[in-house]
Amino acid sequence: MKKIILLLICITNFFLAYATANPIVSPDTYAFASTQDAERFTALTQEIRCVVCQNQNLAESNAPLANDLRNKIYFLVTEKKSNQEIKTYLVKRYGEFILLRPPFKYTTFLLWFFPLLGLVVAAFLIQQFFRRQNSML
Amino acid sequence: MSIIKNIKFIIPLSVLFFLLLLLWHELFYSKQNELTSSLIGENIPSFHLDNLFLGPALTEQELNGQVSLLNFWATWCYACGLEQDMLLKIKNQYHVAIYGIDYKDNDVDAKNWLKKSGNPYVKVGKDINGEAAVDLGIYGTPETFVINKKGQIIYRHIGVIDQQTWDEVLYPLIKKYQQENISA
Repeated sequence: MKKIILLLICITNFFLAYATANPIVSPDTYAFASTQDAERFTALTQEIRCVVCQNQNLAESNAPLANDLRNKIYFLVTEKKSNQEIKTYLVKRYGEFILLRPPFKYTTFLLWFFPLLGLVVAAFLIQQFFRRQNSML
Repeated sequence: MSIIKNIKFIIPLSVLFFLLLLLWHELFYSKQNELTSSLIGENIPSFHLDNLFLGPALTEQELNGQVSLLNFWATWCYACGLEQDMLLKIKNQYHVAIYGIDYKDNDVDAKNWLKKSGNPYVKVGKDINGEAAVDLGIYGTPETFVINKKGQIIYRHIGVIDQQTWDEVLYPLIKKYQQENISA
């Protein structure tokens, strides 16, 4: 029972931390012609990594370079460039690691599959553990 | 049962081995200063920057027709001071043209700095709001691009240029591209 409570506390904390990681820049700082553009800007800044403070996205970072990149994204959004065009522009200059959600391809398959593999191994080990416990009873 | 026992023994061990292999590779073989840029081999993105001194603006077109260096620097950047002597040496001893982009700096400070420690640049443009820096994928200063005669980026160096970097990487590359025929 104690373990279950502990697990629940961990899960709650995780989601609380996730929910409180608010963007420091509200989209209101930038003026957009349409709500669609504003939404695009918000989504893009949350998906692009701040390259000088690598564990933050652009929306959360107040580093000067993050600010410049936000301005550039704002400019490109108002220029009606598509999300893909904006991402291509950034990847070309800062490499693929600027994307917080890396594309699925042969160089990244390990990145995508390793957690799944870990889950399978963990499930197998847990199953073995319970089987052994049952056999001991 | 014996197979399962073996697997239980082999899996953690192989994971550990794999991780150690990865760490060993990162420790000894990764190049810290190497950051990917797909701009290599492409034309320099266009820019139009006001001259730090009186005179016409600095544009990307000015870099055509010769192998040159494009150096991002700033007076507030400590590392930029460390490469200043090397840049002067490149100008005076190796006669390679260096164009400077003064990144988010104060005019007065920049002019004083060049007056005091010497001016290695053919021309200095001011990137006041960092727009040119983003267009070229700059992380910080100093950062230097080698530009060929056709105005294409052929190499990007992150950090201070020291004698060793110059002798082993930059100068051999520049010499190679200086011999290149522009019409080729």
